[in-house]
Amino acid sequence: MIEHAYLLPLIAFFASLVMLFAGKEDPRSPLPWLGIGAMTACLTIAVSIFWSAAFGGGVLPYERNWRWFSLAASIGGKSFIVDMSVGTLIDGPAAVTLVVVTLVSLMVQIYSVVYMHGDTRFKRYFAFVSFFTAAMLGLVVSSSLLVTFACWELMGLSSYLLIGFWFEREGPCEAQKKAFMTTKLGDSGLYLALLLIYAKVGSFQLSQIQQFFDNGFMPATVATVIAVGILVGAAGKSAQAPLFIWLPDAMEGPTPGSALIHAATMVAAGILLVSKTYFVFLASPSAMEAAGWMGLITAFLAASMALVSFDIKRVLAFSTVSQLGFMMCALGVGGFTSGLFHLTTHAFFKALLFLGAGSVIHAVHTNDLRRMGGLSKKMPLTFLTMLIAVLAISGVPGLSGYYSKDLILADVWNHDHAMFWILLFTALMTAFYMFRLFFLAFWGDDRDHEKFSHAHESPVLITGPLVILAVFSALAGAGLDHDGLVSKLLAKPTISVMPGATAAAVAVPVDGAKAETAGHEARGESSGRGERHESHLPPWLHMTAITLVLCSITLSFFMYRGPTYALADAVKANLAPICTLLERRWYFDDFFYGLVALADQAAALAFWIDANVVDRVFVDGWGLLMLIFARISDAFDNIFVDSAVDGVGSLGNDLGVGLRSLVKEGQVQEYLMYAAISFSLAATLILTR
Amino acid sequence: MLSLITWAPLAGALIILMLPKEKVQTIQTAAFLAAAISLAASLAMIASFDRGTAAMQFVERWIWIPSLNVQYVLGVDGLSSPLVLLTAFMSVIALVGSLGIKERVKEYFFWFLVLESGMLGVFAALDLVLFYVFWELTLVPMYFLIGVWGGPKKEFAAIKFFLYTLSGSVFMLLSILAVYFKSLPHTFDMLELMKTQSAWDPRFQILVFLGFYFGMAIKIPAFPFHTWLPLAHVEAPTPISVILAAVLLKMGVYGLMRIAYGITPLGFAWFLPALITIAVINIVYGALCAMAQTDMKKMVAYSSVNHMGYCLLGIAGMSATGFSGAVLQMVNHGIITGALFLLVGVVYDRAHTRDISAFGGLAVKLPVYSGLMAMTCFASLGLPGLAGFISEFMCFLGAFPAWKWQTTVSVLGIIATAAFFLRMLQKVFLGAFNEKWAGMQDMTVRELVCVVPLALVTVWFGVYPKWPLDLINATIVHMLGK
Repeated sequence: MIEHAYLLPLIAFFASLVMLFAGKEDPRSPLPWLGIGAMTACLTIAVSIFWSAAFGGGVLPYERNWRWFSLAASIGGKSFIVDMSVGTLIDGPAAVTLVVVTLVSLMVQIYSVVYMHGDTRFKRYFAFVSFFTAAMLGLVVSSSLLVTFACWELMGLSSYLLIGFWFEREGPCEAQKKAFMTTKLGDSGLYLALLLIYAKVGSFQLSQIQQFFDNGFMPATVATVIAVGILVGAAGKSAQAPLFIWLPDAMEGPTPGSALIHAATMVAAGILLVSKTYFVFLASPSAMEAAGWMGLITAFLAASMALVSFDIKRVLAFSTVSQLGFMMCALGVGGFTSGLFHLTTHAFFKALLFLGAGSVIHAVHTNDLRRMGGLSKKMPLTFLTMLIAVLAISGVPGLSGYYSKDLILADVWNHDHAMFWILLFTALMTAFYMFRLFFLAFWGDDRDHEKFSHAHESPVLITGPLVILAVFSALAGAGLDHDGLVSKLLAKPTISVMPGATAAAVAVPVDGAKAETAGHEARGESSGRGERHESHLPPWLHMTAITLVLCSITLSFFMYRGPTYALADAVKANLAPICTLLERRWYFDDFFYGLVALADQAAALAFWIDANVVDRVFVDGWGLLMLIFARISDAFDNIFVDSAVDGVGSLGNDLGVGLRSLVKEGQVQEYLMYAAISFSLAATLILTR
Repeated sequence: MLSLITWAPLAGALIILMLPKEKVQTIQTAAFLAAAISLAASLAMIASFDRGTAAMQFVERWIWIPSLNVQYVLGVDGLSSPLVLLTAFMSVIALVGSLGIKERVKEYFFWFLVLESGMLGVFAALDLVLFYVFWELTLVPMYFLIGVWGGPKKEFAAIKFFLYTLSGSVFMLLSILAVYFKSLPHTFDMLELMKTQSAWDPRFQILVFLGFYFGMAIKIPAFPFHTWLPLAHVEAPTPISVILAAVLLKMGVYGLMRIAYGITPLGFAWFLPALITIAVINIVYGALCAMAQTDMKKMVAYSSVNHMGYCLLGIAGMSATGFSGAVLQMVNHGIITGALFLLVGVVYDRAHTRDISAFGGLAVKLPVYSGLMAMTCFASLGLPGLAGFISEFMCFLGAFPAWKWQTTVSVLGIIATAAFFLRMLQKVFLGAFNEKWAGMQDMTVRELVCVVPLALVTVWFGVYPKWPLDLINATIVHMLGK
């Protein structure tokens, strides 16, 4: 099936088109099942690709290109026509991600049939979800950075549409705009990176760009600039500091849509882009370091903000930001495998968390954790699946999150001990706030009797996806870790040339065997496996980390198990300034609102200048100039031709009023003609001499 | 072939002149027929256009004024043929939009067709005198079309447009005369001039270039000569705004590429640092001005300033990618902004206001209109998959190697463009529905006939730009290969 990978985005895209345009809008429209069917087909293809990559004889990376269009290009003073290709490039990470994306999207769609039931724009919602998934699948399979960027932007559009799905309300409208603009801000970095890549390499094909890097033709400074541009783009999409501000607001959309954004599509795209262009980062140690610290800071900030939020979806949103920080940090410290591994496991448990939260919201009709409590009695299946998800994200041994987080921590430990301790602390916060959410929602007794009495377990179309995702959340880690599968599929790419070397010196690649097969083999599997074995935490540290996580969970239990959580309030009262800081989200939002206000002022200023300076000087002033000119030529006429032109005298009075008065005179054309003729005579005389 | 394309509208105009005033339908039919002949002929021309050669095709040549060696030469290559097709196409679209014109129908369609002939002639003419005649021929109809059928300040807008562009073309005339007297034997033939120019000294070329540039910069409109545009757009009736944005502005960029670059390359090269600065100002400053607008139409007008800045950016890069990006951007901007003006006209016809804050929540009541508007806005802000992106991106690609910092600053313009379009979408279409417009109807069939073809082309060129680019490529490679 791998040669038909292009079908994945196309199937989803056409399903989306049909759902958008066919049939009438009807809260009971059967069209969503078309989307579900299409996604099932996609999942089948994805699984077969994954299977052949993991266990079959499929050779990765697999690349296949078609001609898309041709454009004229100039290089070195010569111009010619070059081809732009569109195609698929399937490597290990792509094979894994495809399964994750299609599976989560399928679960989300099945779940949404009940969740969105009765909405006036029922089928449009499914069209958007399919479109979103199609864009993500396109990004994953694409062999060209240009197509990747196109899908990337289309994903921005989809998130805009999905976040603002209930656009009658103010909140979603603001949130969708914020999401689009923030990611657009990041995209401009990526845009510049693309320009720079094309200026240097002359191609957008990933394999060719990689070959260019492999051969060492790319100067280290340029590589750094490109990497930083990509990083800015990834920061926008994957909600890294300081561009994470849009994600917590993005929960204004329908909850299953949030699950899609947080697990399978939007935010995964940034991490995936960095992994697709990892060779750029390998060529630039400083960009790697920047990525590592950016991820670390993001992970820490977001986790701290999640500690104080009482909105169930907002806590989850902060946890997504924080987990993405983990992944980015891992990529930054060279933990390619661990970062992508965490992306995979995170997708399962985060989708589960959001869908679980949706199930809770569906039952109690509020997002406020303070009005929940004791729901375990009413919603046993939701409770159990949420427990698995919370355990998984906290990194409790045995569940999927443990495996990936463990690898990340090991990679960070090998890179820098200070970073490790910060990240470990963040992991403890994660366990704390996730269990805080869990205890507040499900444990103890109810806090709001009315809400509680209405609560009920969700129907099977909701709990079914929960159970399936719970299975994956529990087992995906162990399954992928088994027999070194993850190191095989998610092997770290290598570039054969050390950064900093000059182009001349590296004409002979360091690794002789690589010489013939550079580019293709560079994504190969052998090197990653060797590295994997050394990335383990020292046993004592490993045990300490696990113990600390368990302590953190216990602490959370004692603070939030009861209906009143007095202890937590006492702590909060003592740390009021910090709490305010966290509740105001470290003032990042205020900073960006300030930027927007600044841009508005700049716009107002620009328009004022346009109306009062440019228009005056270049239109009225121009008229004035013409008038003076006309008078001169008129005087010329009077002296030499001795025949006066009528009506000129009156014009003199209007001299200062400029064009506006000229208009009234109605003789302007005549003067312009005089001006033109005398001007042209003078000029031709001078010029042809 | 080209004569048919060019003169069919004028012939239609003359026929309309002879029809009685009362027979509105006959007049409309005649206008459509004339424009349709032009469109059909240009489609046939494109179909038999040889994409592999850079030479002029469909050349027609007659002596016009023997004593001055003025010739009637028409011909198209990859630079002009897309624009000829664009003009013929947008004219038909704008004619559909013109069916809403109720007063002085006869004069309106007469002037409209004269205008169309002028525009087509500008792109087809290969003799400088002929070019100049067509160039000026567009002015008078435009003056009347804005001045008679326009909005409240129509007279002022019309005269400002007319005088300003006329004063620009005076300088162009100067340059035309200059190259005529400089060439030996004296000729107005562009192709001849392009061959002989290399012998001219740089000082002369610079002066001549500046003359051309003034004439064209006002049309483009390039900063600081752009202030006539928002006024003219706001006052012009909807179909005329469409023509103004879709075709008239392109005459400036076309002239810059064909004449200013072709005949005075040294002057052009000398001017590049200024041109890139102007391009950046157009992009960033135009977007900022658009951000400050409360009138939808004025916002779209300033977005045109911004988008023409992309064309200038592409040209200033002096690379084949940038040049073909600029040509494609002209076509795409014509289609997208044409659609935007039509769509703004739709809401204006119903509400008689274009104030962005006067609406709200229209997406609930008018799903089709909102969908099309949203799509067009996203196309205009450069969403991949829609036409605007690929040409904009090519302009950036073309400019980047030569002007790194300037191009980087221009990216700010993209962000600002997204900002003002999204804000407009939010205020007009999203949020709570404003009950004041409860009786508003969704788009009529006539309006859909205008907009849907443009939307389809937007998607087509966005997904598969091979077709338009193949038209352009050979010529551009030849132009830049020198």
